[in-house]
Amino acid sequence: MTPDKQPWLRRLIVRLIEPPNLETLAPLPRIATYAALIAWSLIVLMPLYWVVITSFKVPVDVDTGPYYLPFIDFQPSLDAWHYIFVDLGNDTLRPYFNSVVVALASTTLAILIGSLAAYALVRIRFKVMLASILVFIGLLVCVIVAVAYVHLAWQLAVAVAGALFLLFLGTLSRRFRAGVGNSDIEFWIISNRIMPPVVAVLPIYIMFQQLHLLDTHVALIATYTAVNLPIVVWLTRDFFAGVPIDLEESAEMDGASKFRVFFTIALPLVRSGLVATFMLVLILAWNEYLLALFLSNANAQTMPLLVSAQNGTRGPQWWYMSVLIVIMVAPVVVIAIFLQKHIARGLLIGAVKG
Amino acid sequence: MRISLTDIHKSFGSVEVVKGLNLDVEDGEFLVLLGASGSGKTTALRMIAGLETVSAGRIAIGGRDVTDVLPKYRDLAMVFQSYALYPHKTVFANIAYPLTVRKRPRGEIEAAVKDIARQVQLDGLLERYPRQLSGGQRQRVALARAIIRRPAAFLMDEPLSNLDAKLRGHMRAELKHMQHELGITTIYVTHDQIEAMTLAHRVALLERGVLQQLDTPANIYNRPANLFVAGFIGSPPMNFLAGELVNGQFVAGAGSFGTSSRASRNAAVAGIRPEDCRVTASNEGKIVGEVYAIELIGDHTLVTCRCGAEMVTVKADKECDHRIGQAIGVSFQPKAIHLFDRGSGERVE
Repeated sequence: MTPDKQPWLRRLIVRLIEPPNLETLAPLPRIATYAALIAWSLIVLMPLYWVVITSFKVPVDVDTGPYYLPFIDFQPSLDAWHYIFVDLGNDTLRPYFNSVVVALASTTLAILIGSLAAYALVRIRFKVMLASILVFIGLLVCVIVAVAYVHLAWQLAVAVAGALFLLFLGTLSRRFRAGVGNSDIEFWIISNRIMPPVVAVLPIYIMFQQLHLLDTHVALIATYTAVNLPIVVWLTRDFFAGVPIDLEESAEMDGASKFRVFFTIALPLVRSGLVATFMLVLILAWNEYLLALFLSNANAQTMPLLVSAQNGTRGPQWWYMSVLIVIMVAPVVVIAIFLQKHIARGLLIGAVKG
Repeated sequence: MRISLTDIHKSFGSVEVVKGLNLDVEDGEFLVLLGASGSGKTTALRMIAGLETVSAGRIAIGGRDVTDVLPKYRDLAMVFQSYALYPHKTVFANIAYPLTVRKRPRGEIEAAVKDIARQVQLDGLLERYPRQLSGGQRQRVALARAIIRRPAAFLMDEPLSNLDAKLRGHMRAELKHMQHELGITTIYVTHDQIEAMTLAHRVALLERGVLQQLDTPANIYNRPANLFVAGFIGSPPMNFLAGELVNGQFVAGAGSFGTSSRASRNAAVAGIRPEDCRVTASNEGKIVGEVYAIELIGDHTLVTCRCGAEMVTVKADKECDHRIGQAIGVSFQPKAIHLFDRGSGERVE
């Protein structure tokens, strides 16, 4: 390379890798960025595309494939759709309806209860004495032992234990200093999610069996709400912590009650965060399989169970599964698009200072 | 309404931020709580508001003990330093909020908001959101929200400190006029002595949680109760000379002069305000020294003189022809001298 050519080459390289200003990308990074985005989109969209075209295939096209392009590789058919909606009919619609009811109800409940809990954890200082927690657990063990082995009447045992606990709270508890603060409570709540749900599934099953609530919406809604609460609390507490305390104090000076402050000031201001949390929890509840498998049977069966049921004695029925997956994915996509515009940023501008 | 604080204490953990505050605010009075940051003035206001509990003492509003009463039952309106406008509500909904919470009829709310908006010149802005307003407009929304329900008293926590200097002067006058028109008891917290002097009927000067002086602005300025008050109020601050007081004759390092007092103190401090001092020839002044610095401010000149061990600032004419290093004297009237005990800091008459 001759010396006089080098500056020209260097200028070209510089122009390719250095942006003209700070707000735009240089050509090479731009190409790299879009290439990465396109690659990622393909990774995400390919399974969706595959599911959609599979739902229009007949078994022979699936077994002899792979075929990628409808009308060219294979002739699309509505056989699978006909089977799912007409032949199965109510056996498709009932789980679908169950899924909608269970997911929406449990998500709404989890958001409502979880955001109230998160708000309380942010704004109210709790100080629970460690000693009283230990005494409570000790008394509980005593009650269980007394009822199970000494055959004491459970009403009597609970009454005695309750009286002892109140006595302790009124007298000795003040002598113990060690307490549990808000951050301990928060950690305790999130720690409920550390354990895999399969560990708790049998106790939950037995509990609902005793309550005669197996295979009902109530069982699924209650369980999903409880399972998703920690996530809601953990996510929304940060949103509430971001609301300027001045706004809430001002509302209280203006005469609002705590609940009114929560519903008319704090909640609207964390709306975007709540919407995002709602989406996340809704998807978790919508797709949940393991707990539904244990808690529901024919009546309360949800969509994930129906999908997996297509892999039965005749082997995996990919075409039926694909139809079910398409109708499962569709509403979530629609809701996500609809809610996206509510996830607006910068809502707090103008609240305090300039 | 009358507000009285009796022996109020407040501690955060082991730190006591308000120590035995006694305060009686008359009905319709404009009282300013003045102090540097950390003086406990905002904490005192928040205790009156009910946003902070008191560690000891009683608070009464209009003769009713409200020490353990929730803020919403105290019938007070508060203007926050940050304005605390509700960002998701329009200006109309912001101003109407105290009435909406009280479930007043719709027509009444609408009429009241329109009336208040005209008073604070927000007429055309009622449909806007706070983020679309300028600082001064936001301030007026906050004021409108406070006055709309005619509370027992206004509490204001540095309401003007986020405005630029020009607007601050304007809003200060507006505030004073508004308070005069409405005649509602107002407690106003600030660290700005000019706001305190111009707005207040009486000023309560706090330092480290202790009330230093509670008096009219004129008395606070002309008869400061102790060294702290004397040094805090006035700009540039009062000059202090250390020395000995013998039967009313003050003996300092830079000279000796008579005062209007007859008292004697071994360790005393004489305070003279810069505007009460004059620069004279070196043989005519009550104390002598040399010019240390000259600063032309515009309408006057500040001449700083080194007199013995102390610096004395003199507020002189704008046409002032002294040179740095020149030997001069500083003169003042005996009645312009404030005397303090150096040990206790208390005023000596």
